[in-house]
This record gives sequence, structure tokens and C-alpha cells, in this order.
Amino acid sequence: MPNTIKIAMLLGLLLLGGCGDPPATQNDVPVKTYKHAMDGAPGSLDPAQSASLYANFMVVNLYDTLYRYKYLARPYQLQPNVAAGLPEISDDGLRITIRLKPGVYFMDDPAFAQGVGRELHAHDFVYSIKRHFDPASRAQGAWLWQNRIEGLDDWKVAGSDYDTEVEGLRALDDYTIQITLIQPFPQLIHTLTQAYAAIVPREAVEKYGQMLSSHPVGSGPFRLDSRNDTRAVLVKNPDFRKEPFDLEDEGYDPASQADLGLHVLQGKIPPFVDRLEFEFITEDAARWNAFSAGELDFIKVPVSQFDHVLSTRSPLKLSPQLGERYHFEASPESGFIYTNFNMADERLGHHPDPHQASRNRALRCAMVKAFDWEKRNEIFFYNIGRVFPGALAPAVPEYDPDADISYNRRDVQGAIELLQANGWNENTLPTLDYGFPNSVTERQIFEQFRNFMMDAGYPSSKIRPMIFATYGDYQRAYSQGKVALINSSWTMDYPDAENLMQLYYGPNASPGSNSANYDNPDYNRLYEASAAMSESPERTAIYRQMNQMLIDDCVSINGISRTLLFLWDRNIIMKPDRSFLGGYFMRFVDLAEPSRAAP
Amino acid sequence: MTRSYVARRLLYGIPLVLGVTFISFLLMVYFGPDKTYELLGKNPTADQIREVRQALGYDQPFMLRYADYLKQLVTLDLGLSDSSGESVSSILGRTLPISIALVLPGFVLGNIAGLMLGLMAAWYRGKWLDKLIMSASVVGMSVSFLVIIIGLQILLCTPYGLNLFPVRGWQVHDLGSYLYFVTVPTLALVFVTLGYNTRFYRAVMADEIDRDHIRTLRAYGASPFELMFKHVLKNSLIPILTRIMFSIPFVVISGSLLLESYFGIPGIGLVTFNAITSGDQPVLKAVVGLTGVLFVLALTVNDLLYSLVDPRVAKP
Repeated sequence: MPNTIKIAMLLGLLLLGGCGDPPATQNDVPVKTYKHAMDGAPGSLDPAQSASLYANFMVVNLYDTLYRYKYLARPYQLQPNVAAGLPEISDDGLRITIRLKPGVYFMDDPAFAQGVGRELHAHDFVYSIKRHFDPASRAQGAWLWQNRIEGLDDWKVAGSDYDTEVEGLRALDDYTIQITLIQPFPQLIHTLTQAYAAIVPREAVEKYGQMLSSHPVGSGPFRLDSRNDTRAVLVKNPDFRKEPFDLEDEGYDPASQADLGLHVLQGKIPPFVDRLEFEFITEDAARWNAFSAGELDFIKVPVSQFDHVLSTRSPLKLSPQLGERYHFEASPESGFIYTNFNMADERLGHHPDPHQASRNRALRCAMVKAFDWEKRNEIFFYNIGRVFPGALAPAVPEYDPDADISYNRRDVQGAIELLQANGWNENTLPTLDYGFPNSVTERQIFEQFRNFMMDAGYPSSKIRPMIFATYGDYQRAYSQGKVALINSSWTMDYPDAENLMQLYYGPNASPGSNSANYDNPDYNRLYEASAAMSESPERTAIYRQMNQMLIDDCVSINGISRTLLFLWDRNIIMKPDRSFLGGYFMRFVDLAEPSRAAP
Repeated sequence: MTRSYVARRLLYGIPLVLGVTFISFLLMVYFGPDKTYELLGKNPTADQIREVRQALGYDQPFMLRYADYLKQLVTLDLGLSDSSGESVSSILGRTLPISIALVLPGFVLGNIAGLMLGLMAAWYRGKWLDKLIMSASVVGMSVSFLVIIIGLQILLCTPYGLNLFPVRGWQVHDLGSYLYFVTVPTLALVFVTLGYNTRFYRAVMADEIDRDHIRTLRAYGASPFELMFKHVLKNSLIPILTRIMFSIPFVVISGSLLLESYFGIPGIGLVTFNAITSGDQPVLKAVVGLTGVLFVLALTVNDLLYSLVDPRVAKP
């Protein structure tokens, strides 16, 4: 065989080996494809390991949960998903009974007998929650239910034997789940909307083990077709239960949502598209270029493009030129950004000596006064973030728009006077390490922070950058108390302010979510007293009192909730969400016209 | 050249692979990212932290972990990714061909064009053409790869420019789609490597062109084509081969990182970068091992090619 032919064959083989996904057609007929850009990629697709927003987005489309949120209702309202209705709760709030819809099937997979998916039963839910308490599953969601459900923590201590029943987590029959709580936990139903609570068949876990994370076997509206580091393709699950879409039941508001064209969905059976294509693009420029070129249907607009996209900031208005091609929505973030003081550090936090504790409080309050929220918002958030005092972010109803915001107002002279009055000067001020994971933006944020403090007389050399290769390394350092100033953010898990208040609850101190290590007995007592309460005027009063404690103690320089801007093609009929509803909205996405043909 | 020569070269590679893997593993374990906190939930307890560390094998002694690593390399059982749970072998099997298919055209074209321009510049040394080529090379070397990528994307892939090619993706299923997706990355790669290649090849050939035998041939009236291709190029092949062979492992493993990242191409460069930033040690260990083996192979093939180009090399 001549050498040229050999080389040609070799190149041909190489080319075939480097092939990617097949084109988006079925028998040459274009399919309905929705292309969604994400600014990060999911790691594992195992519900037990779906900690990231990106994994969450995909998992809720591959698996089913008992509950979800209504597609269109704001504020968010619970909606049964696989559950037949809302839970039945005993008078003491301790016993929850949930009934399942019959006729929900897992997708066909070799894990099942004859490869045919079987019906989803109550014991599958019980099994899925137990996995979070089995060290072998490397689960990340146990914190939602630990010390909450009768016998579940003991089940883990006893060796996590799945054949041993847990008293507080039982399948009464194929379609009835009973959960017994240690004490009332009103947020339980919210936890059952999360990807962590997605229902996994035991056969699949036993067949695939750790590889379940790349081989999902669920009962969701889509199944995984292909996935790599840059994209994932999900295709419609033909066996997904047939439930007609009901606009009213999903909380449709014609006054604010008529422009989205959602009315055409009434009565149709979701999912409406044949393919979901997730594009994982971390680089803002590449994401924007791909969207501009029409390769993506949806984008969360990078901050660098805000100028280009908006015609006015107040009110937020899309430029008319882009308005012809795209739908636009400004969505407040369900969380906030803050800089916590490490209260376990006696140089600036809690101190056994009341005099020193008072001086430390003055130091923290002076730093809060020196901080300039206006400039932070202007430079890093295009001045469309919402600044608020304490931990009650605008995303929760307990947020008080009329609250005193002097905590967020810069007062450099006040800061200087406070330091002087408490004996702080450039010699006595402690050297503080300000931590952040390595990135240009994080470095810029640090430099801005240091400049703010320098204005109040804090020596530049005494606020030092502490840079980490990854967020995980950073988290390890601050969880071990090695960082004095912790710049971080919190994304709420469910739309209930309890999820914010627990951030400063003493027993949740590091390595828990209370990275400030704040431990105020009064705050803790109020948190415990309100733990069993649902949203109510009484609880709101308690939460606002707790919030005031955080402000008075200057525990944190907080906070700001970003405003996210979404753009999507006018051919796409949807209301996107990156908050509590998350990826659930994708089953309701439709196209006015079929996708453009693949290249 | 005998089989024993090849075997001897491969045998010499074993300490190299051991050295590379040991140092890399040492750096990974003591200075690499710690995956523990990324795998923990929001309110972890001390017990949960310990469980995750155990699951990741962080609680094992260093030498035991290194021995396990070597065993994995020898048995080619590379374990599962800590991030995605996918088998590392299948990740490599999926991504390596894509990276090769991505960089091969740019690598070949960049080197051929560099050689041609280097030959021209050397032949016209000191003349305006030489100066033009060298100045253009410096300009090419000075522009950031990132700027080239984003510039080409805007110019060729968006409605602000010609909009002829995709901004990103790798849905390759035939030659047409391959050309559709590979063209812009190839142009970017050629653009960024051409300056370096041209300057290097010009320097090598300018050195050769000054030799006595070339002057003698010129005196005998040899044509420029015969001079440059038959004598200058052939006698410059040793440094050229060295450069090409030793770029291959770099190009395959890391050279395509930016291309893969910005063009959304799921190759091994992107996988490696993600593994580094996330601390996915099973993937990192496999890539480090693979790089070591690639270097040994490149070294061996390089030596074999030397002996073909210059038979004196193979003589004992």
C-alpha cells in the first residue's frame, strides 16, 4: 500500500476519533432545540452530589423531585411534582405524609430487569434521602436533613445499611411517604424541591456506583444524550408523564407576562422541545460572541456588556436595537455578597475581656463606616445591585425597604473618630488577612477594599491579600479560622429567610455556613425560638430584631444583591429563571418556529 | 539501527517517567488544590470532612499513594474522575483524538509556513524581504493569543464581521463539518506560532547557509532551489526535528487549552485545565503520566529520526 494512502487512512481515522455530537436532526427533520448558555459546568450529575447551580439545572431535568415551584408565580409558590398534592401535616407539625402520583416511570436503562424502566415508588424516595447519610455515596446534601428526621442520623452511625428501616423516613406503601421530624421544620417541603432530593432508583446506583454521576437514570422530562466539558445534550424523555400545561395553575400573570407569548402553551404536554443543549462557557467574551452570532438562545449578560445592552439604568431598559431581536428580563439575585469579619479571631472579633471586645466592635464598625458601597456597586455591579443592611436580603419578604440604611452609608470621618476614641492607631491596628480565590476581579475587589480602609487611616501593609488557587482551598482556610476578612457570597437554597438567618447562628460556625463564627447567645436563642415558625408577622419581627443585632455588632460588611440581566431570542417562548425555580423552567420552554438547521 | 537500539532508548525513558511522575505527584499532593471542601455540603461537620478526605484517599501516606499511582499507570486502570465520576480512561479516549484533530492542521501549516518564510528570509538575509518577514514575525509574536482568538471570532464568526464560521463548538461528523469547526482555531494557531517558527527556522538556516560547502556549491553554480532544499534544509534537519518532536507533547496536552476554552472544544487541554483548577487528582495524575510517556516516545522517535537524517548518530 502506498505511503500516501496509509497516511490518508490514518488521518481519516484520527478525524473520526475526533468526532463530536451528531447533528440536531431526526430523519433530516429539524427538531425543536433550545440552546442555553451557562457560565460554568456541572461536575457530577448524581443528585446526591448536585451542589452547584449548574448541576442543579441539569439534575432537575433528568430526575424527578416531589415538589418544585410554580413556573410563573412570583413570589415563588410550591407546586407538586411527583407528589400527588401538598403534604398532609399533623397538628404538632412533626408528622408529614406525602402521597405520590401513580404511573411515574424511570426511563429505560440496563440497570432494570430487561432494561425497561419500572414505576417510581415511595421507597425510591426513602432510598434517595438515605444516600445522603451514607459516606460511600459522597453526598453533599445531608446538611438539609441532619438532626431533623427521626432516626436518620442514628441510621448513619449504625453503618448506613439500606435494608434497615429509619423510623422517621418510611414508605407506608408504594405511593405514600411518611416523614417524622424531631422538631417542626417548616422549610422541609422547600428542601424537597432541590436536586438533592431527586429520586434515584437503587438498581442504578448499584449498577453504576460512582459512575452514576455521568450516567443518570431518572424519571425527568429529559434524558442525557451526550456530555463533555463544554456542552451537554439532553433529549426528550418520550415516557415522561402526560400532564397538560395549565397557565393559571402555574401562576400566569397576564399583566406582566403577556409579552412572553406563553398563552400558546395552554393545554400542551411538556416538555415542549426535543433537545436541550447546554453550553458551558466560562469566558464572558466567548459567551457573548456565541450569543451575538445566534448560536445560543439564552444568555445571562456578562457585566462587561451591560453598557451595550442597556439604554437606561433606571428604570432598566433594553436598547431598542436589541429589543427587536431579544426578550429581556432583569432578575434580582436570590442571595448576596458580603465581607465577614472572623469573629473567632480575638484581634477583631469576640473577646473574653469586655473592654477588648468593645474595642474590637469599634474597629469592625469603623471598617463598616469606611466601606463605600456606592463605589463598590458602581465599579463591579454597574450600579444596579441592591445594597441593604444586615442579612435580610431583598429576595425575602422580611426585607424592610424602609429600614435605616445608615449602616451602608460611607462615613470616613466617623470611622476615623471611632478608631481614635477606642485607642486604635496605625501601630495598634491588627494586621488582617483578606482572603479570596485567585482571579483578576477578586484582586480588584481586594484592592478597592484596601483603599477604602486606607482612607480611614488603616495602613496598607496591614491589610494583606491571602490568595488561593481554588474556592475550595479558600473555603478550607477560612473554615479553619486562618482568614480574618472573608469575602464571599451566599446563594439561598429556598425562598425562606431562615436560610439567611442560619448564616449567623452560633452552632453553624466553621466549618459550617456561619463563616463569621458569630456566636451571640441572644441571637442564637431567637433563632432557636423561631426555628419552628413559618413565615408570619411574628417571625418577621423576630428576624428583623436578629438582623439589627448583626448590624449593631458590625459582624459583617453586608450586603449587596446583584441584578442579573437575561436576554433570550424572540423565537423562544419562556420565562427563564436562575433562582429557586432554576432548571425546572426548561420543560416549559417552547419555540415559535422549529430550530434553525444544524450546519 | 537495531531493535536493541530502540529498546535501549525506551529503557532510558523509564527513569524519566518515574522522575516526572514523582515530582508532579509531590507537587499535586502538597501544593495542589484540595478537593475536600468542594465535595462537602454547606454545613459540614468534622466527621463529614473526615469522611470526604478518606474517600479521596487524602488520609493515606504519601508513598502508598504514589505506589498506587504507579500501579494505576502500569495497569492502565486510571480510576474515576473526582468531579464527574466518569472513567479517566474514557475521558482521555474521548478528548485526546479531539485535541489532535484540532491542533494538527495548525501545527503542520504553522511549521510548513514557518519553514518556507525562514528559508526565504535566510536566502535574502539583510535585504528588505528578510526585514519585512522578521518584522512581521515580531508583530505576530507580540500579539496576545487571546486577542488573536477574540479578534478572529469577531471578524469571522459574528454578524459584526463575516459570520462565516461558528464561534464555538465541535459537532464534527464529516469532512465538511470538520473544516467548518477547525478553520478559525487553525488560523489562530498558525497566526500565533508563525512568528516563533519563522524566526527559529531562519536562524537555523542562516547558520547553515554560511558553511563552506554551501559557498562551494554556489561557486559551482547550483540553483537557489537546489541549494536551499537539497543542501541547506537537509543539513538543518536535526534542530528542526528536535523542535518539532518536542513541541508535540506540549501542543497535544497544553497548547490547545486557550483554543479549546474559547472555541468550546472538548479536548484534553480543557480537561487538564479544569482538573488543575478543581483538584481532580485522578485526571491530573493520568495526564501527567501520559505527558511523561509522550516525552519518552518523542525522545525515542527523535533519536530514530536523527539516525535516519544523519546515520553517524546511530553508530556505537
